[in-house]
Amino acid sequence: MADIEADVTVDARGSACPGPLMDLIGKIKSVDSGTVVELLTGDEGSKNDVPEWVEEAGHELLDTVDEGEYYSIYVKKS
Amino acid sequence: MTGYAVVLASEELERVQAVSMIASVASMSDIPVEVFVTMNALNPFEKKAVENMDFEGGRVAKAMMEAEDVSVPLFTEQLEQAREIGPLKVYACELAMDLMGTELDDYVDVFDDTLGVSGFLNRAKDKQIIFV
Repeated sequence: MADIEADVTVDARGSACPGPLMDLIGKIKSVDSGTVVELLTGDEGSKNDVPEWVEEAGHELLDTVDEGEYYSIYVKKS
Repeated sequence: MTGYAVVLASEELERVQAVSMIASVASMSDIPVEVFVTMNALNPFEKKAVENMDFEGGRVAKAMMEAEDVSVPLFTEQLEQAREIGPLKVYACELAMDLMGTELDDYVDVFDDTLGVSGFLNRAKDKQIIFV
């Protein structure tokens, strides 16, 4: 799969649940429809919980990439 | 169901954190949430408790405060962040404050107002009530 180009990045590394999710929601609310937001998090719980929120909120989860020390979660705002 | 009305009546940090997490994420997802902080649950919201990180709690609370590699956002920070974005209201119980002789100024800035039982019931009418 080709690398996804993010429009904005939310760096929530070092923050535990629910910090990454709350940072992501705040960012998603502030950007235009179609914007691709990249969330960086090392929190395993967030890796599993963020997709649940994304689906319920009606946005699109493009991919979750394991970067070793952390995950990059790509979300496209609907 | 049009949201949640949460009664927070415990000062145990784990319960306070759990309420703030659920209330914050729900409201940021556009679900209306009212949190009624009553009885001993007011204690951890006191400015001096937050300044000194002086909280009641058990194993998870201890782990949370001692964690070095990750930072767990404190309930006050979560609620502040969520109130700016979503339909979240946080109220302090008038009765408990009267008994303790405290005022809103004694607490961190997360409360919309003080509230009594009738006021809470009115706001909870159309909501699912969660008692913690």
